[in-house]
Amino acid sequence: MSVRRSNFASTTAIYAMLSPTFLLLAVFSLVPFVWAFVTSFFDYEVGGEFRFVGMDNYTEYLHDPTLLPSFGNLLFLTLFGLLVVSTVPLAIAKLIFCLKSERARYLYRVLFLIPIVVPGVAGMMIWQGMIYNDTGLLNETLRLFGREDLTRGWLSDPRTVLWAVVFMGFPFAGGINILIYYAGLAGISESIHEAAELDGARGLIKFLKVDVPLVLSQVKLLTILTVIGTVQGFEGMFILTKGGPGFKTMVPGLWMYMNAFSFQRMGYACAIGVILFLLILGLTVLNMKYFRSTEDLKAEGV
Amino acid sequence: MKRRWDQLAIHAILIFILSLTLAPFVFVIDNSMRTNSELNHGFFGLPKFGKQMFSAYANAWEVLRPYTLNTIFVCVVTGIGVVLVGSVSAYVFSRCQFKGRELLLLAVLAFMMIPGVLTLVPSFLWVKKLGLLNSHWVLILPYMAGGQVFAIFLFKSFFDGLPSELFESARMDGAGHFTLYWNMVLPLSKSVIAVVGIVNILGTWNNFLWPFITNSDAKYHVISSGLYLMHQSNVASNFATMFAAYVLASIPLLVLFLYATKPFMQGVTSGAFKA
Repeated sequence: MSVRRSNFASTTAIYAMLSPTFLLLAVFSLVPFVWAFVTSFFDYEVGGEFRFVGMDNYTEYLHDPTLLPSFGNLLFLTLFGLLVVSTVPLAIAKLIFCLKSERARYLYRVLFLIPIVVPGVAGMMIWQGMIYNDTGLLNETLRLFGREDLTRGWLSDPRTVLWAVVFMGFPFAGGINILIYYAGLAGISESIHEAAELDGARGLIKFLKVDVPLVLSQVKLLTILTVIGTVQGFEGMFILTKGGPGFKTMVPGLWMYMNAFSFQRMGYACAIGVILFLLILGLTVLNMKYFRSTEDLKAEGV
Repeated sequence: MKRRWDQLAIHAILIFILSLTLAPFVFVIDNSMRTNSELNHGFFGLPKFGKQMFSAYANAWEVLRPYTLNTIFVCVVTGIGVVLVGSVSAYVFSRCQFKGRELLLLAVLAFMMIPGVLTLVPSFLWVKKLGLLNSHWVLILPYMAGGQVFAIFLFKSFFDGLPSELFESARMDGAGHFTLYWNMVLPLSKSVIAVVGIVNILGTWNNFLWPFITNSDAKYHVISSGLYLMHQSNVASNFATMFAAYVLASIPLLVLFLYATKPFMQGVTSGAFKA
């Protein structure tokens, strides 16, 4: 009896110790999650009444004028992001890894990480104010070479705005991706390199045939993160272009934000949020299922 | 000899890319020390040496000071909260057997799958209903809720790796769970605590949209929302001041980075930036 009682007491203690975690999750994660779905079936503005509209928000979004341009932009941003994230940081990580001096390898990794200390908002405004501005780096450089005719408002000209947005952060080297690839490259055993050299693999061929398949796990991770991040992300557009000119840089996330906080259409915004959630879920599952990582290749005996 | 040239070539490429990467920030520092009339005369140029080099910083700091203090306060409280709540739960999941353990752990994991874009609007409606708008708590509590999930998994995998003899011998000496956690596990976990702390500080420092929509009262602005509003206000026409503000906003994290390079590098690669 006494044993059972002490067991019971310690079970209570265990649940008590876990309670802050689950209380926080319930209040600040679970409730908003459920509310997102519920609100998407209502017409609601702050201070007003909830009016049930069924699937109306969803069917309206199918005919929304921003639907095509915003998903087109999203596709472009995602493809560009994937291209960048799977090439530049990997190449730099490999270059760093090829250095003989241990200290130099460490120093480069530290130096390439420095841009992460700049708050994201500041980074974007720096590009806007210093590089794309009327008197910014791009236009001033063009003027220096006497090409006044090529200067423009890079973020207001509909022909350049989308490129200006994706090239923000060029040459895409700063940050954590190099470290992720570097860790992957460092995990490749020396014997594999030696075997490849014996087989006569050198330079770029060796990199593509030996290194790349062995860092596919990292590529897969960064692919998932890039897709999820791009589908969700609209801070950049919010700060730089507000989706304009026209809908030239509109993305679904930004349209959701505008519907909620500019047009007070909370239900409609939640419906867009739900659609983006389903899109992210679907893409993540696809990626998990069909993108073969290093481990999968090994398991298949390739 | 050929090897030597290869190494030199790699250094040259890396230094070239690195200078392109850091160039915007060098221009920002340069321009923040030039006066506006100098800036109007041309984009390229070095600051004239003298006291006026830092006048933009004085102006920017006047605006940014309360925002910086708010951000530091929110970062510190959130960080301590996440470390405490996360490590206690991780300890329980790692070292205690109880009914529903697997299920609850899975439930925690499931919360990592909820994207922020889905919950942004309903979270806002919810905290508004709770009366939390315009306070530090509207940032701290949701940050803790989100940040602890990752902390639990990092702490748990670390605790799982601690030798079980350590726990058994301490139990033999009559130590209870609290003593084990406080006197043994926490002191052993300094490196993980540093990583969890830094990951959280980075996340909190960079978050822009949530503080922007929940705290409209200037009293509660943080760095990110404050910088954006500064950019929207008439200060924006004063380029040097804006540039100085960007530099000032980066200094606290730069100090942290220099002070804790190792845990910082572990932190950013520990998978924390999985959305």
